[in-house]
Amino acid sequence: MTTLRQVAGKLGGLLLTLFLASLLVFFSRFLVPGDPVSFLLRGRKPSPEAIAQVAAQYGLGLPPWQQYLDWVGGILQGDFGRSLQFRQDVSVVIGERLPVTLGLVVMAGTMIAVVGLIAGAVAALNRGRVLDRAVLVGLTVLGAIPSFVGSIVLIAVFAVQLGWFPSFGSGEGFLDTVYHLVLPSIALAVVFVVLIAKVTRSSMIDQLGREHVEVATSRGLTRGTVIRRHVFRNAIGPILTVSGLLVAGLLVASSIVEAAFGLSGIGSLLVQSVDRLDFPVVQAIVLLIVTAFVVVNAIIDILEPWVDPRSAAGAGAR
Amino acid sequence: MTLLDISGLTLDLPNGTRLLDAISITVAEGETVGLVGESGSGKSLTARSVLGLLPDRAETGGSVHLLGRSVLGASRSELLDLRRTTASMIFQDPRAGINPMRTVGDHLTEAMRLCEQRSAADARAAASSLLAAVRMPRPDEHLRQYPHELSGGMLQRVMIAGALSSSPRLLICDEPTTALDVTTQAEIIAVLAEQRASRGMGMLFITHDLNLAASICDRVYVMNAGRVEEQGDARQVFRDPQAAYTKRLVAATPTIVVADAEIDAIEARADVPGRASTAAPASSLPAGAGVVATPASTEPMLVASGVSKTYLRRGKAPVHAVIDASIEIPRGGALGIVGESGSGKSTLARMIVGLEQADAGDIRIAGRERTGAPTTRVARLAHARSVQMVFQDPYLSLDPRITAGRAIEDALRLHARLTTADARARVVELLEQVGLGDRHAQARPRTLSGGQRQRVAIARALAIEPDLLVMDEATSALDVSVQAQVLGVVERIRRDRGLTVLFISHDLAVVRRLCDETVVMRTGEIVERGRTIELLSAPQQPYTRLLIDSVPRPDWGREAVPQN
Repeated sequence: MTTLRQVAGKLGGLLLTLFLASLLVFFSRFLVPGDPVSFLLRGRKPSPEAIAQVAAQYGLGLPPWQQYLDWVGGILQGDFGRSLQFRQDVSVVIGERLPVTLGLVVMAGTMIAVVGLIAGAVAALNRGRVLDRAVLVGLTVLGAIPSFVGSIVLIAVFAVQLGWFPSFGSGEGFLDTVYHLVLPSIALAVVFVVLIAKVTRSSMIDQLGREHVEVATSRGLTRGTVIRRHVFRNAIGPILTVSGLLVAGLLVASSIVEAAFGLSGIGSLLVQSVDRLDFPVVQAIVLLIVTAFVVVNAIIDILEPWVDPRSAAGAGAR
Repeated sequence: MTLLDISGLTLDLPNGTRLLDAISITVAEGETVGLVGESGSGKSLTARSVLGLLPDRAETGGSVHLLGRSVLGASRSELLDLRRTTASMIFQDPRAGINPMRTVGDHLTEAMRLCEQRSAADARAAASSLLAAVRMPRPDEHLRQYPHELSGGMLQRVMIAGALSSSPRLLICDEPTTALDVTTQAEIIAVLAEQRASRGMGMLFITHDLNLAASICDRVYVMNAGRVEEQGDARQVFRDPQAAYTKRLVAATPTIVVADAEIDAIEARADVPGRASTAAPASSLPAGAGVVATPASTEPMLVASGVSKTYLRRGKAPVHAVIDASIEIPRGGALGIVGESGSGKSTLARMIVGLEQADAGDIRIAGRERTGAPTTRVARLAHARSVQMVFQDPYLSLDPRITAGRAIEDALRLHARLTTADARARVVELLEQVGLGDRHAQARPRTLSGGQRQRVAIARALAIEPDLLVMDEATSALDVSVQAQVLGVVERIRRDRGLTVLFISHDLAVVRRLCDETVVMRTGEIVERGRTIELLSAPQQPYTRLLIDSVPRPDWGREAVPQN
């Protein structure tokens, strides 16, 4: 009952966040210099009638609040407007490119989880020893490499020199796509692996020093059981929180990687659309990223009582 | 038969620090052996060595044998087997010792399921009967609960049940009641004694509390700085200590036993008219201290009348933390508030200091109204000048980044314009007042001991010469010898300067040493009040009696003839 009410409350908060985000996304366009009409009519000397006609066709002549209502109303029916550069529905333009970005983000996310957690756990369990220092130094070095540099290095070594992986495009069919996305996912994952590994390490070290871990050990449980059931289990909270915050960064960073590997995904589309003042596409993508971020974090919030039963009892409980 | 045989145990850290030095301890079956000492004496480390729970890089020497099997140098699987079958341990703080993210049932059945390969249903049934054995009211319901849903005393029972789940031959108890209230402590001790007797286990009981050790142990070892100072029959050691350290420890331990002579003294003084309200124990105040109670200042320093505080919680019943409490302290007097956790004693103190606002009632300090929330900077400073507080944990109440002298100086400068030289001089003066010196002014809290820190905290509170000093469990986190030092400092300052003190504690013995009068609080209400010594020797309320009876006391009378 209370759980249900909490979930309902979270959903309300989620909708409010999305509404505020939509306001910001839509009206920020009016702060940016550049007139979409002149872009649409580029290279021509438009007559006032032509301008009026284009403005009317894209609804640009209406007052901003009317445009906002039309836009939101359209979105609620699945209509994101028309792209100025492609002269196609925005939903079609994005729909074509979404699978590539999703594939990229899912593969990178898996790598981040697996490599980050393992590296963090290994470092924590060998705290202060050579292995811990090696992992920390390695992570720091990797974390300092910007993803576009990383992309170039990966292409130079694994695509050009060794020829193991393709360097361009997203491939056809499932397996081929996965094969094509290996290098881009690595390039995208590196920075985030560092973050997750460091959070995992400090969170686990925190738990390793707790008395309940010593109690579990004193009961005769094996080291592996203690680590799994008491150290790692209790360390999940902070890791999950940071993971939620990474989602937005992952989607934004994908634009750089997509550009470097010639993938036509959402990220490269965003860059291209900003460049060409294609407001409907920019707005739709930004709203998509905001939505993804908010939804993922709402899910993490809802998981909170499972991660830490104390949180269900409110802040007062220790 | 010897259950545990530790002989010549030494433990060195890689940097050469020797933490344990030639420790030899034996525990026979069915015997309760006490390991007594202050923090840093190595008693916990000694206990942990029995289960092989030592720091990774420590070097050990000597030997530890459990039922004839060597623990030091045992292989990993031998160690697991010893922990699973032979010995188990109860830790100090059940709140920290039981995984907060797992249910009580999981805590209890974990070892049975994963180590003994018993079925889940079988393990649950065993856990349920163990919970019943440690007198938990609703075993099956508790199995589904999370630790945060249980009180500290209940959790310690869970911890005990967990330790008993492997049917150990030796039970090691590391300060199992230190984090608990005195009445809860008595219940836990009873449960432990009952289980020890019915199972015929040996017990190694670690504590800093001499009275507790004396009341339950057959033999005791007194440890200090990694060595065993003295050992022998519990009565013998505490009645007639041989080692200098044990003598000091026994002398520093406060007691609630009221000697007949003291009662006589009080009664004699009560006959003197006009002095009854500020009468103090004969031992703590010389005749000259009576000056502070001259009729010139008849108005009490603190008057709190009808003070109430209720915390409203969303979706839950409101908590009545303090209900219609009224207290009064004459100028230069010392009032103790005793009660268990949740009795509202700290909330009352916080309202008097102004950290919380009372819902109803009236608080006056030195005749000035102090009930409302101070709104301006001036009002806040005036409030702070009238009352200062010393908190429980000096490790948390001092900023680790600034020096002790600076902490005091900051408090001084907040309230008065002083030149740097004047402020420095005053800081040294204050430090000397609490038995510290110039060199401590430069020290950061990290380099000071617990007792020194608490004295710095007292000096800081006294810096602006408050009308009233509130001490909230200010000696609870300290060792007995350090506690005795700090209490001595407070007594001396009271004597020299006529300071008015409100002393909050769960420890009747400490209150007895410091306070003329005492009130007893329970679930927000004051249940009894009176002169401390009378309260202790002839309590009127059953709750007060329960509190007094729960304080561990050696089971031999004061007049008993020494045995052996």
